[in-house]
Amino acid sequence: MAIVIQPYRSEHEPAVAEFNQRLRQAGEDDNMVFYRWAEPRWLPRRGESRIYNEFFVAIDDGIVRGGYALKTQDFFFPDGQTRSIAYYHHPLSEGIVNKAHAMVGTLLLRDAMLRAPLLYCLGMGGYDRPLPRMLLRLGWAHSLVPFFFRIVNPSRFLRNMQTLRSSRSRKFLMDIAAYSGAGWAASKLFRGYRALLAPRSPATECREVASFEADAMGLQSLWEQARQTCSFTAVRDAETLNTLYPPALKHLTRLVLKRNGVAIGWAVVGERRQDAKYGNLRVGSVVDCFALPGELLSVMRGATQKLERQGFDLILSNQSHRAWGEAFKAAGYLPGPSNFLFAASKKLAELLSPFEEVRPRMHLTRADGDGLPANF
Amino acid sequence: MTASTFEQVRSVASDIFGVPAGKITAESSPETIENWDSMQHLNLVLAIEEKFGMQLAPEDIEQMKSVGAIVALVEKLQSAAR
Repeated sequence: MAIVIQPYRSEHEPAVAEFNQRLRQAGEDDNMVFYRWAEPRWLPRRGESRIYNEFFVAIDDGIVRGGYALKTQDFFFPDGQTRSIAYYHHPLSEGIVNKAHAMVGTLLLRDAMLRAPLLYCLGMGGYDRPLPRMLLRLGWAHSLVPFFFRIVNPSRFLRNMQTLRSSRSRKFLMDIAAYSGAGWAASKLFRGYRALLAPRSPATECREVASFEADAMGLQSLWEQARQTCSFTAVRDAETLNTLYPPALKHLTRLVLKRNGVAIGWAVVGERRQDAKYGNLRVGSVVDCFALPGELLSVMRGATQKLERQGFDLILSNQSHRAWGEAFKAAGYLPGPSNFLFAASKKLAELLSPFEEVRPRMHLTRADGDGLPANF
Repeated sequence: MTASTFEQVRSVASDIFGVPAGKITAESSPETIENWDSMQHLNLVLAIEEKFGMQLAPEDIEQMKSVGAIVALVEKLQSAAR
């Protein structure tokens, strides 16, 4: 029998469960499993919705050998047009545990490219991983999405940051810096220096909202004014914000920033899920943000203050737009090594041409990946 | 299976998998060639497309389970194109 890739339906769920079981039995990570349920829990396709997730499975004589997901969403392009494009995520092939199925990975990707020629990938964990290597081999355009971090609690950071505490001598030095207060002093000095250089923000009201719906008019106007500052961005109009960040997602904090009653920007912040590399640190994330030109720093400060008040030790974000990167740095964030990649299919890259000129004003955040609602 | 097509496919596979051409037979597959993993399968697909000037559809890729199967596929697509 030939492998057929088709939409994942409820009758496939037992075969997917068996597929996941085979991956686990072969020693794969518990996270390396395909979706248990055919209907996406996040962004299922409903009516006329412009943002939705769909799952596909590769079936060989009733046996599932792999699967992938597509998130379809409207994006604003350099030519001023809005187009529906797709994000390829969670590809999983039995080829990772059984070489007899080595062709499945290629099949999944080729199938996705046929279904959605305007295709992108985001995140992926670095250029050395299998998927980015495949995309590069296929000639996709690509770039790193810069990573920024702000240390809120230097002492806890030095004692918990496992990736930096990689040797006995490093641990020793970091413990000395933590317990002597040297880390705290250095952090204060750095932030004081940054604050001196950064422009002052006029008085801004930063309000936490349960839903973006109440501010829909202001946020719609904000989107229409600010989108021109981006060469490429997912549509972030009022309706989209309500779809992406509904009140039901309690772990996200929605912020609307206003001056003289007019919305100048918004941000979505939240707590990153536990990760061994951060030890016992409480890690916050600026998940998403948008602002009028000239107001990025005000929005960034508002989001940062909120996360600091919520007690996070470390705040992280990925931001592709150069202006947002500058705002993060002005707000006391440091750039760090990024393993968060953006890759665009050839068809998509044609619309982003010349890529090197378009790239600095592309606005991509972790919200554009598979991260929501939990894994940002 | 013609000797000419087999030799050409074998040459491509030898380059991709880093295996001497003499050790590649029609029966060679991911289970017998150590380097034949997902990444190398994609490289093989692209190299075959380039070598023979053809675009492989997902249903074609699915048939590429051994060197002999690839030779048969290439010949089928070539004769269909004539």
